[in-house]
Amino acid sequence: MTRKISITFLLLIFLQPLLVLLYLSFSTQWHYPSLFAHPFTTQHWQTLLSESSALIKSIGISIMISTLVSFVATGMGFFISRGIAYYTKSRWWLTSAYFPYVIAPVVLAVMLNFYFLKMGLTGTFAGILLAQLLITIPYSVIFFHSFWSSTILEREYLVATLGGNFMTSLRHAILPSAKGLLVVCYFQCYLISWFEYGLTQYIGVGKVETLTILVYRYISEANPYLAALAGLLLLIPPLVLLFVNRSFFIQNVWKS
Amino acid sequence: MIEVRQIKKAFNDEEVLRDVSFKLRENETLSVLGASGSGKSTLLKIIAGLLDGYSGTILVNGKAIDDVKPKNRGTVYIYQQPLLFPHLNVEQNIAFGLTIRDRENSFIQEETGRMIAELQLQGQEHKYPHQLSGGQQQRVSFGRAFIIRPEMLLLDEPFASLDPSTRRDMQILFKEIAQKEGITSLFVTHDLKEALITGDRFGMMSAGKLRVFDDKESFIKDSESGVQEEIQFWKEIQNH
Repeated sequence: MTRKISITFLLLIFLQPLLVLLYLSFSTQWHYPSLFAHPFTTQHWQTLLSESSALIKSIGISIMISTLVSFVATGMGFFISRGIAYYTKSRWWLTSAYFPYVIAPVVLAVMLNFYFLKMGLTGTFAGILLAQLLITIPYSVIFFHSFWSSTILEREYLVATLGGNFMTSLRHAILPSAKGLLVVCYFQCYLISWFEYGLTQYIGVGKVETLTILVYRYISEANPYLAALAGLLLLIPPLVLLFVNRSFFIQNVWKS
Repeated sequence: MIEVRQIKKAFNDEEVLRDVSFKLRENETLSVLGASGSGKSTLLKIIAGLLDGYSGTILVNGKAIDDVKPKNRGTVYIYQQPLLFPHLNVEQNIAFGLTIRDRENSFIQEETGRMIAELQLQGQEHKYPHQLSGGQQQRVSFGRAFIIRPEMLLLDEPFASLDPSTRRDMQILFKEIAQKEGITSLFVTHDLKEALITGDRFGMMSAGKLRVFDDKESFIKDSESGVQEEIQFWKEIQNH
């Protein structure tokens, strides 16, 4: 009984901000000292569903960027970390992967801005992709580095002596053990990309409007109702991804 | 016939193997005894083609294989851990080497069935590695290696993680199957008894040097092999 009450209490604490956002998204005015907003309207949601909605476009852009970034970062980080673990002796390679986080992504953007301008990538979709990869690939490298243990290497060697090539090794010796971690890393990179603001704003110069950028814009325009709606939308894809992969998070990952 | 000629290997400035040479006839097991860090595993890895940057040469039937990739060398490396593929069942694990060679299904089934019977694994065919005991897992690992009929089997303390009783059973089983299948093998261990049970000939590895004894008699008599010490120990126990 106590456990049920505790869980309900915790759920309420977690859901309370979301409920406030949901409530605000149906409002246009809420002035002190009124307890409830007035009028209660579906106006923002109707605008959202209209074809020319900026929100719909930004959702599309955000999903595309995050999907591509997380896919490429997970794949590249996986193989780069293998190279670092097996073929380098210096710790410098791994240490350098911490660089974007030590100096903060937005400072990195300031440092790289010159090169992005020279390459004509500032304010473009490709520029945002590249900028976000510069922080997610190092993250993925750090994430996978400890995966490449002596057991994985021995299994790769074993496959080689049994007559297999690298693809056989990947299929039978590496991926079955890495499956859970790959899903988790993809999810984490997706979140990093999805909620990334500073770097995206700086390199995108407001031309590429991701959902996160839009939320901040609404907030800075003092439009809490649209910001609430955009904030809610911002939470949907990560929650869907979490729900789809719940078996990995709840079973496989914790068990291993 | 496998011949290893004057293999030298160093890691940085540390010499790990010093002029290691030996010959291994077909269907013969050379048991190499040595302490940890004596260079046994390095020697096996070099023969398997998993380590390069060495001097000397390895010949199989008179042909140098130093530049041949591990997958084409015809040697299979067996580790202390069975390293079974967790997503494959017993049958699929054993058949692995034949499957990746695209052999015919009927041949794979026939060979796998025969190997399962030899390894006394009947009834376990559809179990996954996590459902097997340590001894059963190592049997599957042996089956996976035997089934492709390698030129040479390289065994790196394969029974070290098993309990004494299972270990003894596995030593005997290995000997029986190796003889029956005509397998040539290099068996590395630090267990004297294991070396005596599994080997046809014997070697002692110490500080990167290998000394090979041609028969059991000379190995037993040699003061450095440790056999005399062992005999003395048991005699003293008996007398007290």
